[in-house]
Amino acid sequence: MNSIIYILLAAGLVFFGGSTLAAFYWAAKTGQFRNLEDGSRSIFDGDEPVGAATDSFADKRPDRPLRRAVSGGSLT
Amino acid sequence: MSMTSDHPVATPELDRVERARIDESTRIPVLLFFGSAVFWLLVGTLFALLASFKMNAPHFLDQWGWLTFGRVRPAHLNAVAYGWAAPAGIGVALWLMARLCRVPLMHSKLLISAAIFWNIGILLGIFGILSGDGRSIEWLEFPNYASLMLFVAFGLIAVWAVIMFRFRQPGHVYVSQWYLLAAFIWFPWLYSTANILLNFEPIQGGAQGAVNWWYGHNALGLWFTPIGLAAAYYFIPKVLGRPIHSYYLSILGFWSLALFYSWNGMHHLIGGPFPAWMVSASVVASVMMFIPVITTAINHHMTVRGNFHALKWSPTLRFTVFGAMCYTLSSVQGIFMAVPSLNKVTHFTHYTVGHAHLGLYAFFTMIMFGAMYYITPRVVGWEWPSARLIRWHFWLVAIGIGVMVVALTIGGVLQGLALLDPGVTFMASLDYTKPWLLLRSGSGILLTAGHIVFAVSFTLLLLKAGSKRTEPTLFGSDQGRKPEALVP
Repeated sequence: MNSIIYILLAAGLVFFGGSTLAAFYWAAKTGQFRNLEDGSRSIFDGDEPVGAATDSFADKRPDRPLRRAVSGGSLT
Repeated sequence: MSMTSDHPVATPELDRVERARIDESTRIPVLLFFGSAVFWLLVGTLFALLASFKMNAPHFLDQWGWLTFGRVRPAHLNAVAYGWAAPAGIGVALWLMARLCRVPLMHSKLLISAAIFWNIGILLGIFGILSGDGRSIEWLEFPNYASLMLFVAFGLIAVWAVIMFRFRQPGHVYVSQWYLLAAFIWFPWLYSTANILLNFEPIQGGAQGAVNWWYGHNALGLWFTPIGLAAAYYFIPKVLGRPIHSYYLSILGFWSLALFYSWNGMHHLIGGPFPAWMVSASVVASVMMFIPVITTAINHHMTVRGNFHALKWSPTLRFTVFGAMCYTLSSVQGIFMAVPSLNKVTHFTHYTVGHAHLGLYAFFTMIMFGAMYYITPRVVGWEWPSARLIRWHFWLVAIGIGVMVVALTIGGVLQGLALLDPGVTFMASLDYTKPWLLLRSGSGILLTAGHIVFAVSFTLLLLKAGSKRTEPTLFGSDQGRKPEALVP
């Protein structure tokens, strides 16, 4: 009984270590590490574009404009 | 809208409807997890107060075995870690997964069953601990019948996450999604392995300690931390409408966390009966954690920089930025605590307890509060009832956790130095901690008040108190469509 559990645990170790490596390989191969600038914008859409704040207290609106990104995010 | 380029006709209106549809699809599972999290937060806080008072007055309520310190303290830990923090994190993660996969939530029955299993597990576990059935293994005190329930729930959620990822809309995999998938896949494995080796088929001797802290540290590092960071990496840019400062650093941070964090656990065993290489490897890996921590700190700071005034008007950002700052603080503190010469002072003192609260409360819990303030109105379709309640919640818990961490840190160092001094008796070393433990109980009262305010606010929202709003997204209904508010 014990030895079966140890074999399962060792197999788990290999499986999870392997799956992390596989995920890394997959990410590199499918271009996840390319065009990082576009990647960082993938959470915005036409309705909530870069530049639109999306949360505030109901009774308190932004009192002055937000500043654009200081670097990296050249907002177009 | 670059990532929705496969819909060339996408208009703001279509995007808005699509987003509202995705948010709405997550409603039942997300609210089940959020609702039970808030309930167990109150229960866990009650146990925390009881345990803290017992530090000030050891005979307080000790006439019942059920309420002795040895049971109330693990009941607190498990109620807040598995009852509050984990389900709150799961709720946030489900909503984020649906948004980041850009598809409505599928197979919600899997998640609803998971929520039911989960809550039965917590109920059985807390009952088991209080009735004297707990295991004296830190972070794994739940009896086997309870941990089995949690494992089933974790498993169902992991399967769901893989299905969602499989059927996502094509496009970039955002950094938050990496963190979430990693957490969903790592944790069931971690939890089952540790439970098998310690509770179901226990291994013998000192190796138990190694497995215990491999689990204990990884529960924080490979479950709570990735979920907290996933939320921070989504909400900070999303609320400000400003992409992450350096996306490259965020990716580097994720992969270096994946590489180094799982080695860290043995630094809990410095000075213990373990092979020196195990502890040394762990200390080295702990110091290497500087890489993911500093990349994350730089990224979050530089994204908010210039817009700190936004903390005044955004409840989500206020909690999230507080949490993100405390992530840096607690991680850097943790790195130093892994250095053997400093560990000698802080180990086995209240300093460690302060560190744990800085990590799991000031970092993780605050980010969860921030995320819940963003998500809940969007899935319910109703605005928070009162901005004043949100402000009270923030200041009560921010001051409460601040006081607690400072008190335990100072008290812990005094205690540690006294313990190392052969001229001071053990009993005298405890005297040094007394005023700080009193302060800790005071901070606990503030935190309790904050949690009650939050629970009231949350319940009123679920009951749809206050005026009706018809917009699908509520907080953002005004500014969401006002990009011209940003001067070039």
